Amino acid sequence: MTQNASGGGSSPESTAGGGAGSALQGGDALLQVRGLRMHYPVRGGVLGGRIGSIRAVDGVSFSLRKGETLGLVGESGCGKSTLARALTRLETPTAGRVLFEGKDIASASGAELFRLRREIQMIFQDPYSSLNPRMTVGEIIREPLAVHRLGTKEEQLGKVRDLLETVGLGADMVGRYPHEFSGGQRQRIGVARALALDPKLVIADEPVSALDVSVQSQVLNLMVRLQRERGLTYVFITHDLSVVEHVSDTVAIMYLGRIVEQGPVDQIFRSPAHPYTRALLEAIPVPDPRQRKDEAPVKGETPSPVSPPPGCPFHPRCHHAIAECRSTVPELEVMETSGADPAHAHTAACIRRHEI
Amino acid sequence: MVWLRIDPITRKRFERFRRIKRGYYSFLILLAAMVLSVFAPYLAESRALIVWHQGLPYFPTFEYYTMDTFAQDPPPAWGMGDLETEYLRLQREWRLEGFLYDRELGEMGSSPDALSALDAKYPNHGSFVVMPAIPWDPYQSDFWSNEILNEVDLLLEAGDSEGAEHLARRDGLEELADVIYSGEVRALIADPGRSPTGDLKGLARTGAMPSIAGLGVVPPNAPGWNRRHYLGTDSQGRDVASRLLYGFRISIFFALFLTIFSQVVGTVIGSVQGYVGGRFDIVSQRVLEVLLSIPFLYVVIIMAALFQPSFWLLLGIMALFQWIGITFFMRTEMYREKTREYCLAARSYGASHLRIIFRHLLPNALTPLVTFTPFAVVAAIFSLTALDYLGYGLPAPTPSWGELIDQALQIENRDKLWLTFAPFGALTITLVLVVFIGESVREAFDPKQYAKYE
Ligand SMILES: Nc1ncnc2c1ncn2[C@@H]1O[C@H](COP(=O)(O)OP(=O)(O)O)[C@@H](O)[C@H]1O
Ligand code: SF4
Ligand SMILES: [Mg+2]
Repeated sequence: MTQNASGGGSSPESTAGGGAGSALQGGDALLQVRGLRMHYPVRGGVLGGRIGSIRAVDGVSFSLRKGETLGLVGESGCGKSTLARALTRLETPTAGRVLFEGKDIASASGAELFRLRREIQMIFQDPYSSLNPRMTVGEIIREPLAVHRLGTKEEQLGKVRDLLETVGLGADMVGRYPHEFSGGQRQRIGVARALALDPKLVIADEPVSALDVSVQSQVLNLMVRLQRERGLTYVFITHDLSVVEHVSDTVAIMYLGRIVEQGPVDQIFRSPAHPYTRALLEAIPVPDPRQRKDEAPVKGETPSPVSPPPGCPFHPRCHHAIAECRSTVPELEVMETSGADPAHAHTAACIRRHEI
Repeated sequence: MVWLRIDPITRKRFERFRRIKRGYYSFLILLAAMVLSVFAPYLAESRALIVWHQGLPYFPTFEYYTMDTFAQDPPPAWGMGDLETEYLRLQREWRLEGFLYDRELGEMGSSPDALSALDAKYPNHGSFVVMPAIPWDPYQSDFWSNEILNEVDLLLEAGDSEGAEHLARRDGLEELADVIYSGEVRALIADPGRSPTGDLKGLARTGAMPSIAGLGVVPPNAPGWNRRHYLGTDSQGRDVASRLLYGFRISIFFALFLTIFSQVVGTVIGSVQGYVGGRFDIVSQRVLEVLLSIPFLYVVIIMAALFQPSFWLLLGIMALFQWIGITFFMRTEMYREKTREYCLAARSYGASHLRIIFRHLLPNALTPLVTFTPFAVVAAIFSLTALDYLGYGLPAPTPSWGELIDQALQIENRDKLWLTFAPFGALTITLVLVVFIGESVREAFDPKQYAKYE
């Protein structure tokens, strides 16, 4: 909590957080991310010197309340997985803070980090590579408990059986190997593993993108049910806005390593402010063509995160771009449609957010 | 404990390997050859396996028996009986006794008096010697082919035709023995058309008596059953089959030691490189590339000039270079495996580096190593053979395939084809077997075969 107090909106890393970030002062926020940056070196030469950097995540800030779900949406390559790895401290961020209950995960180390890892677990995208093919389902789910030495082996095995039941697989599956299961079942195993340590926060990186549409909703329903039963907090990453609509309380739209719009789910869907958000919404297939909105689809390719465009990173593809967009970097600003609740503020990073 | 248990993927792979008959049988054959080579002292050895002497068994493999033990005559030059028994000769002497016993029994009839007289004359007629399949150790020279006719000639000249007949009979020259026994031999060797030099050697050279036609020549001697040189002898009269077997034994163990050592070291270093990654990996990789660019052969030649090459020295030098190749495999495997999501999951719940490496990464990363092993073994055999051939290998009397090839390629041995066929045949067979095994292992471990996507 002490760290939390010192990490107000005035700290240098949190400039991109804008007004919304500074308005949220701990209290009910489980997770606060401030100015998170993840730059990868581009190496060259015989000894691998640094010759440039990939700005995979470039100044991300948001807050998340306990028991709520943040939907993180963006095209492939915009830095969603990198952000997830930084939040779970699979990688150490280049800059910024990740405050979990006031403790900074980004700078934690040793025993403190080990304790924090219990609280934050991750569900992965690929149900085939996320389970070690040489371990039984029981071993896979039990390992987190063994690593953290929680209970005796019998207690751990009992917990593994409970978890298997909870995620809708029989307790008798403990001795099976991952290859005996379908993609949806494997993803349930992944969920069970993530829940083994009773975490408070679960980061789900495209948990259903690799699954059949019919199976997707089953896994989504499971996750929603578990959230209700266990009071879990989710960061739900996806490239599919339609999935986010069902599970999220708030939504953050990412583009080229930055959040370009953020707000309560109904506001993002009803009155999107950023041209990129509109384009994404436009891309959702709707059954009735008369309901289509009139925003033109985005043109061109996503620019490279090695040399992002100056000014607004979206300007080469934006239909509303003006000269100013090329020079001024827009920050997340609160929209006038935003409600009073700071955690649910509607913010957008567009110079022309009020005009269009 | 955990990684000793066979998981279903591995089991499936083994089952599939067993179903690929060609590779599986090649594997069994090579395995049998390796196991057999361990028992080489019982397969190719000048000591008998069992001696049955006057109602008692003896096991010379485990104990030293002097010639006196079996009342064997020492060679003329020595004249004392505390040498180790010559078991192959002993076997022939006792067979001769048995033959003479039966022949005289037939001539004299079986009256009790005659029987006891014969028993006294031939006390060893019931004894026997069981020799190993190849009754030669790899260091033993056999000049018999060159000398036997001389010895018989000497006895004939001395007028001891009974002794001459017994000597010929003892050594399986039945036709010659019969001719001497019947007294026709004098007429034969006196005929200049048949024996220009007037002795048995001349008789052998003209081929007038086919059964001794190959005798009277210096080694290398052609393959022959009489002396049980199944693959002939080399320039020093040593048995080629025995040397092949011992050579295989040395090189296969050399190859196994080398492979195990280089795979362990290569796995550890390559894994650390791949797991740690980053600058450590890049810098250490450059160091390894520098090491790898040192010409191996020069190092061996320099070392061979400074020290007497030995099994362990050669193993050490080769191991110094061999493991580097393994690191390349392991490094890339680890790079690939560590970015898999199961590894990320393990890190996200705080698993230690050791746990991640040993429980998660290595079991999944070792597959290419397994498919690589048969080829590594055969490469090691071939390197040792090549070094031996070049003369930088194991010191002189050590049996080795390379040394045999060297002999075969000497000008004066060009027509001694058995010297060529034996080592090259052995190399070829080994190579073919290993290629079959390697190919089947590769096929059985092919991930495309078992991956299941739905
Ligand atoms: N370890 C890494 N080293 C270098 N570049 C990386 C690394 N991880 C991700 N990137 C780059 O960062 C960008 C974002 O990747 P990622 O987070 O995987 O996107 P997403 O999950 O949104 O599809 C990509 O351009 C990718 O090439
Ligand atoms: S700032 Fe300009 S370029 Fe960027 S999204 Fe808004 S209008 Fe488009
Ligand atoms: Mg991703």
